[in-house]
Amino acid sequence: MTDIIVLLIIATIVVAAISKIVIEKKKGARCVGCPTSPSSPKSKSVKATSNSDCGCDMK
Amino acid sequence: MSNNTILKVALTGNPNSGKTTLFNAITGRIEHVGNWAGVTVDKKEGEIKKNLNNTNVDITAVDLPGAYSMSPFTSEESITSDFVNNENPDVIINIVDATNLSRSLFFTTQLLELSIPVVVALNKSDLTKKKKTDVDVNGLSKLLGCPVVETVSTKIGDNGLKKLIATAVEVKGNTQSAPFYALDVNLKDKKSVEASDIKRYEFVKEMVSNIEKRTIDSSSQTKQDAMDRIIAHKWLGIPIFAAVMWMVFSLSQTHIGPFLADTFVAGIDSFYAWVEGLLAEGTSPVLSAILLDGIIGGVGAVVGFLPLIMVLFFLLALLEDCGYMARVAVVMDRFFKKVGLSGKSIIPMVIGTGCAIPGIMATRTIKNERQRRTTTMLTPFMPCGAKLPVIALFAGVFFNNAAWVGTSMYFAGIAIIIGGALLVVRITGEKNERSYFIMELPEYKIPSIKRATISMLSRGKAFIIKAGTIILLSNAVVQMMQTFNWQFEVVGEGAADTSILASIASPFAVLLIPLGFGAWQLAAAAITGFIAKENVVGTLAVVYGITNFIDAEEFALVGEGATVASAMGLTSVAALSYLMFNLFTPPCFAAIGAMNAEMEDKKWLWSAIAFQLGMGYSVAFITYQVGTFITTGALATGFVPGLIAVAVMVGFVTYLVKKGDRIAEQKLALNRG
Repeated sequence: MTDIIVLLIIATIVVAAISKIVIEKKKGARCVGCPTSPSSPKSKSVKATSNSDCGCDMK
Repeated sequence: MSNNTILKVALTGNPNSGKTTLFNAITGRIEHVGNWAGVTVDKKEGEIKKNLNNTNVDITAVDLPGAYSMSPFTSEESITSDFVNNENPDVIINIVDATNLSRSLFFTTQLLELSIPVVVALNKSDLTKKKKTDVDVNGLSKLLGCPVVETVSTKIGDNGLKKLIATAVEVKGNTQSAPFYALDVNLKDKKSVEASDIKRYEFVKEMVSNIEKRTIDSSSQTKQDAMDRIIAHKWLGIPIFAAVMWMVFSLSQTHIGPFLADTFVAGIDSFYAWVEGLLAEGTSPVLSAILLDGIIGGVGAVVGFLPLIMVLFFLLALLEDCGYMARVAVVMDRFFKKVGLSGKSIIPMVIGTGCAIPGIMATRTIKNERQRRTTTMLTPFMPCGAKLPVIALFAGVFFNNAAWVGTSMYFAGIAIIIGGALLVVRITGEKNERSYFIMELPEYKIPSIKRATISMLSRGKAFIIKAGTIILLSNAVVQMMQTFNWQFEVVGEGAADTSILASIASPFAVLLIPLGFGAWQLAAAAITGFIAKENVVGTLAVVYGITNFIDAEEFALVGEGATVASAMGLTSVAALSYLMFNLFTPPCFAAIGAMNAEMEDKKWLWSAIAFQLGMGYSVAFITYQVGTFITTGALATGFVPGLIAVAVMVGFVTYLVKKGDRIAEQKLALNRG
C-alpha cells in the first residue's frame, strides 16, 4: 500500500513537471521558466538585414 | 467579456529612452530593462493597467525595440519600422529622452509623417531639471503639431503616465500635420537619403534651439566625464572591471550568499528528513531512492544555491542600472575591434551572463552577418546563471569558497571569446575588415533597488521553475538509470558500474581521462549538463548520494568540502579542469536552438558546436596537464592521447586559418586592383 502511494506521489510530481514544460513550450518559451526567454514565436518573423557595404555597424 | 473598443498603442523611441521602463510602468509587466541601448530586441504586448486608464477603452501597448530612424539599420530596428508601417497602430506614443532632444526628435519628425496620431512622452523630464535645462513643453507641442506630455516613468505617483494614456485615447483618429516632410527622396539613392537627413537634422536643431534653454553648456566637463576618464579608461578600466567582478563574487559566493543559504538549506534538509521519516518502514528502496535521492535530493542540491544566485543577480542588476556595464562595453570595445568583432558584441555577452538565450537573441543588434554569427557562437562562453551553481559548487568544495574562482571564470570566458573571434575572423578571410562602433553612454545614476529586486526575484522564480521541471525530471531519470541495469534488475550494492547510466557514460569517460576526470559519474553529470547546466550539480548529487552541497550546521557553503571532494576523487587541478570543461563546452540544448535560429545557417551552427566542444576540451586539457605539472612536477595520466587529440584540432584550425588568409589576400588584391 505504501509503495502505491509513493508511486502515485512520484507519478504526480513527474506529470506536473512535464505539464509545466509542455505549457511553457506551447507559449513559445525556448528556456522553461527563463524570465528573459522569448515568449512569442512571432518575434522571429523579422530577421537580420543585409550586410553593410563596408562591414561596419557604425551609427 | 468586455465590449469596450480596443486601442492599439505603439511605444517607439530611440534606444535607451526608457521605453521598456515606461511599458512596465503602464502595463505592470516586468520585462527586462537596462541602462543602455539595445536591451529590447523584440516587440512585447501588454494591457494598460486599469488605474492608469480612466476611459472605457481597452488599450494594448506594444513595446518596440529602439530605433534612431524609420530607415531600419539593424534587424531589431526593422521590427519597429515594420510594425509601425504594416500593423496599423491606432496611436504612436513616441518616448523622447528629454535630456537629448536633438537626437530624439529626428525620429519624432519621421513618425509624424506617417499619418498616425502621435503623442510625445517627454521622458526623464526629472533629469532635465537636475541639469538645469528648461524645455518649453507647450512650445514643443506647437512646433511638432502633436501633444507633448512630460513623464518620469521611474517615479511612483505623479509621473505623467495617466495624462499620457488619456491623451493617447483623445488623439485617436485625429489628423496631425507633420512639421517636416521629406519630399522627393529616392530611398534607393544613398545620397538623396543623406541629403534629406541633413535637412531634417537642421530642422530639428533649429526647433530645439527655440524650445530648450541649457544653463550648463553640454560641452563643458562634468563629474560624469571625470568618472568616465577613470572607469572607462583603456587600461585602468580592466583592473577596475576585475575588482568589481571579484567584489560581486565575493559578496554573493563567500559572504552574503552562504549566509542566506544557511537557513534555506536547513529548510530543505528538514523536508528531506521529514519525508525520509515517513518512508522509513516498508517502502520499496527503489521508490524511496527515486523520491528521496533523485527528486528531493537532486533538486534540493541545485535549489540550495538559489540564495547565492539571487544575490549575484541583484548585484549585477545594480551594476547594469547604474550605467557601469555600458562602460565595460567601451573598455572591451578596443579588444573586440582588434579581433574583428563589433563593440556591440559585448552587449549580448553581458546579457548572456543572466541566460545565454536572450544573449544570443541580442546579437540581432549587430548588422554585419559575420560579426553577428561569431557573436552568437561566442556568447555562450560567458558563464550564464545556470552555470553559477556549478561554479559555486566547485569553488566551495575545492577552493574554500574563493571569490577568484568565479571572477577568473568570467575572465577566462572573455579571453576565450577574444581568441575565438580572432580565429573566426581569420578563418572567414575577413581579417582586413575593420569595425567601427559608437556607443551612447548612459548617465551614471543611483541604481534602483526596486528594479534590482524585481530582476532578482524574477530570475529566482525562473530558477525554481527550472529546478522543479527539467532538473527534477532529469534527476529522476538519472536515479532510475543508476538503479537499474539493462535487464531492468536493481543494481546490487557495489555494482553501480553495471547500471544503465554507467554503461552509457563510461565510453565518454574514457575520452575525458586526459582532462583528469575519467569517472563515469562525472561524465554522466557533464552529459546531463547539456539538457540544463544546473543538471551537473543535480546529477553529481544523485550519483554520489549527496543530498545537498551546503552544510547548514557549519554555516558555510559545503562545510564538508573534503568529504565531497574525496567522493568525487578529484584533485583541485582536475576539479578546475572539470569546471572549465562544463563552462566552455557547448551550452544547453535550448541555447543551441537559439543559436540555430539566429545563425540561420547549418554550416555555421555545426561549426560553432564543434568549436565549442574543441575549445572546452582543449582548455580543460591544458588546465589539467599544466596544473598537474606545476603542482606535482610530472605530467598527468592520458597526456599523450590528449595531446594527439588537441594537436589534431589545432592542426585543422590552422589549415582553415591559412585558407582564410589566402581568401583575405585575394580580397585585398581585388580591392587594390
